[in-house]
Amino acid sequence: MPLSRQTAEAELLALFQRNGFSPSQVPILQPAEPFIELSGEDIRRRLFLVSDAGEGETCLRPEFTIPAARAHIAAHAVPAVAAYAFAGPVFRQRAEGPGEFIQAGLESFGRSDIEAADAEMLALAIEAEALLGGEALTIRIGDVGLAAALIESLALPPAVARRLRQHGMTPAAGEKPRASGLAAYQGVLNALKGADPAEARAFVKDLLSIAGLKAVGGRTPGEIADRFLEKASEESSGISAEQGAILARFLAISGDPDTVAAEARALAASAGLTLDAAIDRFETRTGFMAARGIDLGRLEASIAFTRNLDYYSGFIFEFVARTGERPAIAGGRYDGLFKRLGAGTEIPAVGCAIWLERFGGVA
Amino acid sequence: MSAPSLILGVPSKGRLQENTFSFFARAGLPLAQARGARDYRGVIEGLDGVEVAFLSASEIAGELARGAIHFGVTGEDLLAESIPDRETKVVMLTPLGFGHANVVVAVPEAWIDVRTMADLEDVAAAFHARHHRRMRVATKYITLTRQHFARHKVSDYRIVESLGATEGAPAAGSAELIVDITTTGATLAANGLKVLDDGVMLKSEANLVASAGAPWSDAAREAARRILKSISAEETARKMREVKARLDALPPADLLARLGANLPFGAGSGETILHCPTGKVGDLCDWLTRNGAPVVTVSTLSYVFKAENPLYERLASRIG
Repeated sequence: MPLSRQTAEAELLALFQRNGFSPSQVPILQPAEPFIELSGEDIRRRLFLVSDAGEGETCLRPEFTIPAARAHIAAHAVPAVAAYAFAGPVFRQRAEGPGEFIQAGLESFGRSDIEAADAEMLALAIEAEALLGGEALTIRIGDVGLAAALIESLALPPAVARRLRQHGMTPAAGEKPRASGLAAYQGVLNALKGADPAEARAFVKDLLSIAGLKAVGGRTPGEIADRFLEKASEESSGISAEQGAILARFLAISGDPDTVAAEARALAASAGLTLDAAIDRFETRTGFMAARGIDLGRLEASIAFTRNLDYYSGFIFEFVARTGERPAIAGGRYDGLFKRLGAGTEIPAVGCAIWLERFGGVA
Repeated sequence: MSAPSLILGVPSKGRLQENTFSFFARAGLPLAQARGARDYRGVIEGLDGVEVAFLSASEIAGELARGAIHFGVTGEDLLAESIPDRETKVVMLTPLGFGHANVVVAVPEAWIDVRTMADLEDVAAAFHARHHRRMRVATKYITLTRQHFARHKVSDYRIVESLGATEGAPAAGSAELIVDITTTGATLAANGLKVLDDGVMLKSEANLVASAGAPWSDAAREAARRILKSISAEETARKMREVKARLDALPPADLLARLGANLPFGAGSGETILHCPTGKVGDLCDWLTRNGAPVVTVSTLSYVFKAENPLYERLASRIG
């Protein structure tokens, strides 16, 4: 018999509490600014913005992570370890379905035993899945830290590296960049190739002052010069055929976690890339997962599974019914979140969100 | 005055209002503004049952979407910005030939390394990484900006809503770049801004627009049919010239087809009347005089009313 929504919420919170996550609350009304600053303008059309008499915009909470992190910063002057559990309505404007729906969430802040905390988060998500019932879901896992290390070690042109970090690890992201207007300055770019950065900055400054242009709009002549230098150094202004081939082979690696780690290590060795530290962390995590009793055969790991690398920093996972469908559970590590929210130091953070409506076992 | 059956939204001020008045006057539908307490209301002289509501252009877009007015004159920019599912909510009846302006992305001229949206994507990402905040775009076109930037994969930006003097935002330090509407680009240039090569998001002009969701009573339909017939009649007349000549034989059909000319009253005895697009009148007269017409006269037309009413047919097909 399906669980009622209230029972599902209560049982999830009880499960999380037994595992050391305190059931917690955050206000439904939240400042909109942090969500837009962290997720970008695209989230604005999904937010329920409400008018308020004060400065700035207010919204109905679209999720629990950012409110939880902000409350954590407010409550702890010095970095503290804490584990929170949430369940309740969140609000997003959607093409289909109501704008209010029930989400449960877990947040683990401040633990320095990163891989063990990652494994615990996935283990709890699997227990939540069992509790909520419904058809068997596919669990996909990835490692954004490993992807970042791969981008770094391939020594890609900065613009290509940025695109891969932002738009995901697809071979297409590594393709030649779209038409830059700088093509019109090919001669200047050639002349600048290998130029001394200080000289180039002075040159751009002079150019702008001759034209009587003030560097308005928050960018300095130095930044503009740096971009000319960056473009000049991108010989083919794209990824080399060799880099592209290596990248494509990495992106093709998938399977259970042990297979993925082994294949990535072998490929890194043959391509002469230093990825050992990142792969070590991946394997350590796999070890903790096995120790927590997770059936590794259920996990579909791949190098190509990534999310926006600005937000996520390590382990990521999602539970989906079918390819292309929205995940029923999604989680991951976002160690950079606290600094972006204004905390003085980086605080390790891992968590997950559970969409109750996406489980067949919840009425 | 009895309750109006059709409400027409007209811009309440400025050149848009002047041009709207002359457009309707040309179509034989002179607008008249009531005096005194009800001066925000008006009528079409000689056409009963129509009330003119004077509103701001952005209010007109909103009221069309809500179905609170039947017809309205407003810019495509405002329709695209404020009506998410424009195709289902409104019917674009006809462009009016005025109020031309472009919604554009403009950056400081000093950004000599930024000429295209691809450059902007690159620079926005670098800016975010370097300054630990997103580039700010000042605009009142929140929806259009989001769509255009998403199409060009620019994601590292924040919108700062600006409801006036947007072009001053970069100099004032409240934004890095802007999205704004411009007719000549002179204001942008005066503020040290340049339009990106592929930064034109929308070419806009004033349109006569119908609301799909307004209460289309029989009387409202009848008023709409009359208004649209007059507009069509003027539009056709404006583009054509009347050509008269005494002919031995009618011009061949393939010549008429090539010129886009026609014989509105068929072959008459005595003089023949032709309607010919303005730009082709010379060609037609040349042929006529070479083929037996001793004299040809050309005159302008005020209205060309026809039995068919394609503008109304389009509206009718949408409102059922």
